[in-house]
Amino acid sequence: MADTLIDIVKREGRRPSEQFQRDKLHASIYAACLSVRAHEGEAKKIADTITDLVIAWCNTKPEVTSGDLRRVAARHLHSYHPDAAYLYEQHKLVF
Amino acid sequence: MNIVDAFIIIGVAALIHASFQLGVSMLTLLSSHTIGKNRSHAKLLRLIGSYLIGAGVMTTLLLSTTSLVLLNILDAAQIPLLTWAVACGLLMGLGVAMWAFYYRKEQGTTLWLPRSLATYLAERTKATHLSGEAFGLGLTGVIAELLFIIGPLLISALVLVQLPPAWQLAGVGFYTVVSLLSLLIVASLIGSGHKISQIQKWREHNKRFLQFIGGGGLMILGLYVYVEKVVTALTASGIQ
Repeated sequence: MADTLIDIVKREGRRPSEQFQRDKLHASIYAACLSVRAHEGEAKKIADTITDLVIAWCNTKPEVTSGDLRRVAARHLHSYHPDAAYLYEQHKLVF
Repeated sequence: MNIVDAFIIIGVAALIHASFQLGVSMLTLLSSHTIGKNRSHAKLLRLIGSYLIGAGVMTTLLLSTTSLVLLNILDAAQIPLLTWAVACGLLMGLGVAMWAFYYRKEQGTTLWLPRSLATYLAERTKATHLSGEAFGLGLTGVIAELLFIIGPLLISALVLVQLPPAWQLAGVGFYTVVSLLSLLIVASLIGSGHKISQIQKWREHNKRFLQFIGGGGLMILGLYVYVEKVVTALTASGIQ
């Protein structure tokens, strides 16, 4: 489901751009919260809030990369659930 | 070499093997994705168990195969000094390599692996949801780190082939269990409900220490075996 008409630049343009998908961002934040043993309700609430904040941020930018999305989401997530934010940031740094 | 000395060398080599981090990274990522997808705890335990069995099977196979090859090309009763010297040189070289480039100079616990292989392993790990896939992932994890594992494996195989057959089997089992210790510890922490983030934070904060003891261990083991096998033999032949 594409909720906003924003194109996301993937991997600095090395992969085709795709339209922003709210559900995709929501699912990744929800999964990060569950990974640190947050309760489902709490995880859903945090994911809803962070997704809305990221969408609000996206609406102020002419172009957004997938890396930007992850950084902004992680920054907001830090104030709601630091452990989940840590894991969210570590996503591509495990090996 | 008596049996106790042989098992001490095998044990130290296996501990060094256990200090390598690719398997732990894969297990952490596998668990993180399984919990993140809201799968049951029983499913998580099954996947972790299958992963551990896969890693154990591949370690056993690699050590047995290396020993078998050595038995076929060498006289187990009289292993040439050159072979010991090469194995010790390999251990020391790997120790230096581990200190130099085992971890990348980035945040997190990113390893020396080529990025294409790391991406492939990460994608496979995330896509794993069947026990059979987790078993295969365990096998692959050991193979992917063969570049570093080959040192401890080779020295253990050289020691093993000199033992009586029953002790050889015990040695293979001993090496496998000790080499899986780090995975067993992480698996038990995850299984008992610890947060993945805590485990990953500990790994990140202590990665330089793990790198130091892994590399140092390789060099010390190489030096010890060199003195025990090569220098002692050369000195004895010089005295006679």
